[in-house]
Amino acid sequence: MLREPHVYRPPAGIFDEVFGPGGVPREYAQALVAELTRLGPAELAGAGRRRDAIFIQQGITFDATGEDGPVKDRPFPLDLVPRIMPSHEWDHIKRGLAQRIRALNHFVDDVYHAREIVHEGIIPWQLVVSRPNFARQVHGIRPPGGVYCHVAGCDLVRDADGSWRVLEDNVRTPSGISYVLENRTAMTRLVPQLFNTYRVRPVDHYPQLLLAALRAVAPAAEGEATVVVWTPGSMNSAYFEHSFLARQMGVELVEASDLVVRDDVLYMRTTSGLKRVHAVYRRLDDDFIDPLEFRPDSLLGVPGLMRAYRAGSVALANAVGTGVADDKAVYHYVPEMIKFYLGEEPILQNVKTYLLGDPEQCRYALERMDQLVFKPTGESGGKGVFIGPSTPADELEGLREVILRQPEKWIAQEVVKLSTVPTAGVDGTLAPRHVDLRPFAVFGEKIKIVPGGLTRVAMNEGSMIVNSSRGGGSKDTWVLDDGASPDADQVSADEAAVLPPALPGLRYAEWTGQAQQQQQQAQSPTPPAPR
Amino acid sequence: MHFAIRYLTEYRYDHDVTDNLNALRVRPATTSNQRLDDFQVRVDPESRIGRHEDYFGTDVLEFGVSRPHDHLTIDVRARVVTGEPVEPPDAPWEGTTSAAYEQAAGEFLLPAPDEPDHPMLEELVTLARANSPLKTLRWVSELIPDRFRYEAGVTYVGSTVTDLLEGGAGVCQDFAHLALILLRRHGIAARYVSGYLWAAPQDGGSDSMEVETHAWIEALMPGAGGRGEPVWVGADPTNRRLAGESHVKIGHGRFYQDVPPIRGVYQGAAGAQLHANVQMTRLDPQASARA
Repeated sequence: MLREPHVYRPPAGIFDEVFGPGGVPREYAQALVAELTRLGPAELAGAGRRRDAIFIQQGITFDATGEDGPVKDRPFPLDLVPRIMPSHEWDHIKRGLAQRIRALNHFVDDVYHAREIVHEGIIPWQLVVSRPNFARQVHGIRPPGGVYCHVAGCDLVRDADGSWRVLEDNVRTPSGISYVLENRTAMTRLVPQLFNTYRVRPVDHYPQLLLAALRAVAPAAEGEATVVVWTPGSMNSAYFEHSFLARQMGVELVEASDLVVRDDVLYMRTTSGLKRVHAVYRRLDDDFIDPLEFRPDSLLGVPGLMRAYRAGSVALANAVGTGVADDKAVYHYVPEMIKFYLGEEPILQNVKTYLLGDPEQCRYALERMDQLVFKPTGESGGKGVFIGPSTPADELEGLREVILRQPEKWIAQEVVKLSTVPTAGVDGTLAPRHVDLRPFAVFGEKIKIVPGGLTRVAMNEGSMIVNSSRGGGSKDTWVLDDGASPDADQVSADEAAVLPPALPGLRYAEWTGQAQQQQQQAQSPTPPAPR
Repeated sequence: MHFAIRYLTEYRYDHDVTDNLNALRVRPATTSNQRLDDFQVRVDPESRIGRHEDYFGTDVLEFGVSRPHDHLTIDVRARVVTGEPVEPPDAPWEGTTSAAYEQAAGEFLLPAPDEPDHPMLEELVTLARANSPLKTLRWVSELIPDRFRYEAGVTYVGSTVTDLLEGGAGVCQDFAHLALILLRRHGIAARYVSGYLWAAPQDGGSDSMEVETHAWIEALMPGAGGRGEPVWVGADPTNRRLAGESHVKIGHGRFYQDVPPIRGVYQGAAGAQLHANVQMTRLDPQASARA
């Protein structure tokens, strides 16, 4: 394969990140290509088999939808060819993301308080209130430190000209960081020789960054904050990550039944009684955190949690109500937000987006259904997405009817020709596969971004669907250390103190909903109104 | 009118329960034609009560009883003075398309998430439209009781509009939910109102009577002459009239679940018996002659 580079052919009109024009390796990738060539397909395939065995054994798995329906506990497919990024490229991304996350954080604060961006006529109030994740429950609540988007995972893609664009924002409970860390560990064990000639910036300090951020926003005296990770439970598809992060941070992993609110304070049940909790890294949606204020039919949550939150006695990460900011219709306005709140020009551009709630944009998009991507606004993780060019005409007709019924719930985007990176097949030969990038930013006192992030790769030829729930794989992402750029994202020593983990083993009785009263005043005996 | 209201709720549990957390939306609002003179809440077992205003401006009282208990009593007392609202403007339909109207309408124009897809609803929507938004509001308040029987016990607190359409009967909560859909479908912003209703016949009757919490709606009417501020006008589709001084408003929301009088949860698998009673007393019986 790589002994004859002409065999590897990036698709025409696509930016390949390793092979430049004429099939010549880009400068920063030359050593990688040389090392892969030395390794050869057979060795690479062998390393792949060892990788699967290790992942299964360690429980690093993911539930996915395969060709034969749902597949449980598949080894998370790590491609052994890393994605390499020169440091200047990363610096650009990092600055762009920090800017974007600052603006999103401003926006969340604004919509639940002064609504200045609405009063200025930049975003219509009707659009805000029609977002399914607009949380009226947090109207007027300002969380500790004014931080809402503690963890952000924006999805970036690289267009045909090599420029980076933001595909979507994720500021609710973005997942995937555990794979970034596990991938790096696996790579150093499985293909250590690839690291020989590169200085790769580390990623393993993420849990300490997160812990430091949670402590920074916790309403507690310095060094005394109790932090927990709240998981919906072992049935959740990202449970591995929840337990991974709790273990890495040295904090308790809890479920709703471990938590209770008394007098506006959140406590955790322990074998030695109740223990106050100051900060919760919660990995479930707003709808399920407190049945008193969100879905009353959901008794999964912690009743009274919103009371404690309102009283300011506990920090929730991410803050309640951030879903209004990563809505796909609101995405359209993020460049405007950056200008409005920060007075800056956006460093990273959006993908051209059409709001189908607008009749003119809707008409235009529906005329070009076979050329655009259609997305429901309130979903994440690629759910409900239709890619026009690869969707049969009759399905597009059905989609048209669905859209016309509730156009405000849809957006359309121009297709981005995702960049490619050489990716190993089962037999170890390399072929171009499309990738995106989800960097993880942590916002406590400052915004810190772990170098690189999760590169997701579509494992099928030509496919641009990279979501792991739909058969995508991942790559270790290397940000090269050229020694020049200061690395502000490392943890200082005082941020890194780690406590011994222990799991509370107690489970308590279930919650019961208080009987509600129907409003059923009788009619007046004599209807007095004139007809 | 001048009312004393006593709203007493009692839960009796089969076994001891703990961590009984509740949110009450029972405090009468202060509006342009309603004044709250006195308000008290007592809870047994005794508990500290917190208070805040929610997104919709409704006063929320919260408390929790953590220790084991087998009953919960919530005793609410209020004194309220109400007056007749001003005559609502009868502006033409065009007023509902102005930018000022849309801004004021906010989420109250949006369809409910569980709006049914039902042929009878389509028929009612078509029937509901009159010459102006105000006439439509008055007409919807007639149309619903014309078509549906008022009957307690046919529906329950979680019933949907579909239940009303198919059962042909319901209570004020159901009537209000249906009225909201009919108005919103015609571009009239409308919101659910929770409160108390003085339901005595207008020619007098007793000065004190047992009632229950009541539900009606408010619809946004374009300002007079197509200009001026749009105004929220109360209407009672259970009682075929616009809301007046016999209506005591607690608060409003998009639907019932935004303003339930009591919402709570407790720990323990115990069942509960609920007794709720609203007693309203007129403190100015002489004034009724002028009403």
